[in-house]
Amino acid sequence: MLGVLAAVAPGFFGPANLRDILTGNAPVLVAAIGMTLVILARHIDISIGSQFAICGVAAGLLAKAGLPIPLAGLGAVATGALLGALNGWLVAGLGLPSIVVTLATMVMLREGLRWATEGVWVQDLPPGFQWLGLGQDAGRLAIPIVALAVFVLFAWGLRYVAAGRAVYATGSDAEAARLAGIRPRRVVFGVFVAMGALTGLAALLTAIQFIDVQTNAGVGLELRVIAAVVVGGTAISGGRGRLAGTLLGVALLGLVGPALTFLGTEAYWDRALQGLIILVAVAADAFERRPSGAVRG
Amino acid sequence: MAEPSGRAFLTHEHVLAVLVIGETALFAALGSHFLSAGNAAEVARASVEIGLLALALTPVIVTGGIDLSVGSLLGLSAVVMGAAFRDHGVPIGAAALLAVAVGAAGGGLNAALIARLRLPPLIVTLGTFSLFRGLAEGLTGGIQNYSDFPERFLFLGQGRFGPLPAQVLVLAGAAVLVGLLLHRMAIGRSLRAIGYSPEGARYAGIPVGRRLLLVYLLSGVAAGLSAVIYVARLGQAKADAGTGFELTAITAVVLGGTSIFGGSGTVHGTLLGLLALALLQNGLRLSDQPAELAGILTGVLLLGAIGARSLLSERKRG
Amino acid sequence: MRRAGVGLLAVALAGIVSGCGGAPKDGLTVAMMPKNKGNPYFVSCRKGAEEAARELGVRVLWDGPTETDAAKQNEVVESWITRGVDVIAVSVENKEAISTVLRKARGRGIKVVTWDADAEEDARDFFVNQATPRGIAEALVGHTARLLGDKGEFAIITASLTAANQNDWIKHIKDVLAEKYPGLTLVEIRPSDDDRKRAFDETQTLLKVHPEVKVVMAIASPAVPGAAEAVKQSGRRDVKVTGLGLPKDAKPYLHDGVLDSVVLWNTMDLGYLTIHSAAALAKGALKPGATTLPAGRLKTVEVRGDNVLLGTPFTFTRENVDQFDF
Repeated sequence: MLGVLAAVAPGFFGPANLRDILTGNAPVLVAAIGMTLVILARHIDISIGSQFAICGVAAGLLAKAGLPIPLAGLGAVATGALLGALNGWLVAGLGLPSIVVTLATMVMLREGLRWATEGVWVQDLPPGFQWLGLGQDAGRLAIPIVALAVFVLFAWGLRYVAAGRAVYATGSDAEAARLAGIRPRRVVFGVFVAMGALTGLAALLTAIQFIDVQTNAGVGLELRVIAAVVVGGTAISGGRGRLAGTLLGVALLGLVGPALTFLGTEAYWDRALQGLIILVAVAADAFERRPSGAVRG
Repeated sequence: MAEPSGRAFLTHEHVLAVLVIGETALFAALGSHFLSAGNAAEVARASVEIGLLALALTPVIVTGGIDLSVGSLLGLSAVVMGAAFRDHGVPIGAAALLAVAVGAAGGGLNAALIARLRLPPLIVTLGTFSLFRGLAEGLTGGIQNYSDFPERFLFLGQGRFGPLPAQVLVLAGAAVLVGLLLHRMAIGRSLRAIGYSPEGARYAGIPVGRRLLLVYLLSGVAAGLSAVIYVARLGQAKADAGTGFELTAITAVVLGGTSIFGGSGTVHGTLLGLLALALLQNGLRLSDQPAELAGILTGVLLLGAIGARSLLSERKRG
Repeated sequence: MRRAGVGLLAVALAGIVSGCGGAPKDGLTVAMMPKNKGNPYFVSCRKGAEEAARELGVRVLWDGPTETDAAKQNEVVESWITRGVDVIAVSVENKEAISTVLRKARGRGIKVVTWDADAEEDARDFFVNQATPRGIAEALVGHTARLLGDKGEFAIITASLTAANQNDWIKHIKDVLAEKYPGLTLVEIRPSDDDRKRAFDETQTLLKVHPEVKVVMAIASPAVPGAAEAVKQSGRRDVKVTGLGLPKDAKPYLHDGVLDSVVLWNTMDLGYLTIHSAAALAKGALKPGATTLPAGRLKTVEVRGDNVLLGTPFTFTRENVDQFDF
């Protein structure tokens, strides 16, 4: 795909475009880090879109209430962690299936937010809100840097810190993990809290690119993120995958939209092509792993 | 034949039945004209499309799989039918059959990827969720809105036989069919076995690939059929038809007691779950409550249902 | 645990019991439905509607889909028919779909008006029209032409690709271009799916793919600030934005200069007029053949055929936007 682009539309590789794509997809990467953890632990979270919306609104409201902007940002992350804790309690504490739990929380959170805000955006924010007061150029640079820093942190942590390896262990075989001294329920709870906090961070990174907060943001985010994680090679059955793959997945899916625009395809074929890419990527991944025996469906 | 979870099953449907009765009583008191024949007919009419999807999703989920693409497939089938009828002079009956065929083709794609290539259903249907909707948007440019369907076709979605809306008969027929499949035929047992343990089922000689092919194909056909009824009811076919239907259908199935992990599930459970959801929405509306509340309570109900299920199976395991 | 689940449910239901009114009161009940409840555009219409309701002593039931959904609109109207209301007022998402059920309502003696977006003519008594699609298209193209001159290229950021209103406007925009402004070229149409960030991303990419585009026309409420922010951040002083959206969202960008003009109408007046029309219709004061309608603080409004006219589209600019609060 990149080859075709280089041939047909070299403008794609201009620095401004690449920077914009980087900044635009930084929040998706942050959320995808969290989703990778969740899927590694053999669960899923389809409520992050709603969490994203709430955290963005939280950041805006806290800033409006007079809190210093960095604290408002922390508030957004904390809100996310709390929402993640709700999911975590239901899944780890009560042992309920994560797909159904997060389906329920997805609907409840989004509808609850809509009811409370009636669709009105959070406006008239203090001027330091946009770019966290850093100004456009620094801000646009800071966002992908933060995302990459978080990425490196988690990538390192997953491999070298005991908690990280515990996630892998829990995902591949919870019983064996328990026998090895790991507490699977704690790991699962932690994973959902991390997901929530990272979603809050993603919401913050998005919100500060603008001067006000849309209250219905993040619709469809969960699908984008899950697709990126899976395309990146993390197995939906848990226990297998690397954050590096997720980075590639986010990059691939993030490039598709702008690439298609540069190639001149009509907008109404975008979604079909995205679906196709997901299917091809997953099929290719399965073919790659074929010789090693039965692939659990 | 004894169900693996015996008495626990019965209890879940009992709870559901109590819930449905409770909702009816509550909204009869709070809502205006809730308990009228006209309202009952309308609730039934509006539930048929989701109901067809939920019925077909039940065997899918029983095998431990899932199909997120049914709503998008509905949209694709609808616009193909609309285009065939309006732009290519295909007679309406054939166009409707074409819609079902498109559904089967979509279901077949899912089936091939899931059953033959053994790819995870969640991801495959996530991909086809985008693909099917995308094809619908692409084919219509997003703009096309097919309408002006003949009266006798619209009767299917808007007409009545006495007090009964026409499409309810289709739902009833589908319920009987899926019920037979799941409860009376050996296939049903094999589906549950697959859900319980795919490897075990394979070793036991069950043709897992063929069974999976069947359930996903069925799911696609249901989407196509549902598309026909949707178009008949609304009198139009657009690329956004059926948006969000898959989540509502899955909610109905899970509410009805089918375990998302597979291995158990009943048609009457799904129907009760469907009814509980429909009554909730309709009752709240007639009680002048905002639409958001229906969404929130649906989530609460869903959590309650899986919580109840979890409690019951814990108790059974002792 | 089951107890917890049932307990939760009981609490929620108890909440409803205590919180709701239930049976209809005396006086008129007007059931009013937007295309979707979450859009600030409709939220401001509601404010106007409730103002009129207070003035007239009318009860307004405000409900509708939380996301744009043609099928849901039908179901809500069905419930209203069952419930029994005096007037139904709908902003129609899908003309063909809703007309069937609106006709049914009329058959039951319920009066029907449409507002903001019309249904089929025989499905409603009157249409409260804030501006014709053609009028809107002319205003939008007019601004674009003013900014571009005789020749130039522009692009459109729309709502979703299936949005009925926007597609209607686009059709008329193309007509107006062909008839009056052959030198202007519409280069691309990109969707925003009513998401501000999406509008932002699409505009960013657009500016790079088509550097010759000098005007971005954003024709959905969230798309206006999204597109404007993208142009602003790009530093391209030679590109301007125009479009259709709420003045409140547009205000900062109008003052910045990156947004040149925003076409709309007074949404609160639209809601206000809708309720007045509905009430007049129910009481028999508004009948076929009327040419005017007294509408409270709007004084006397013109009625043309079966259209109650709010007026022509209004353009918000840097100079006048501060006077408005929606």
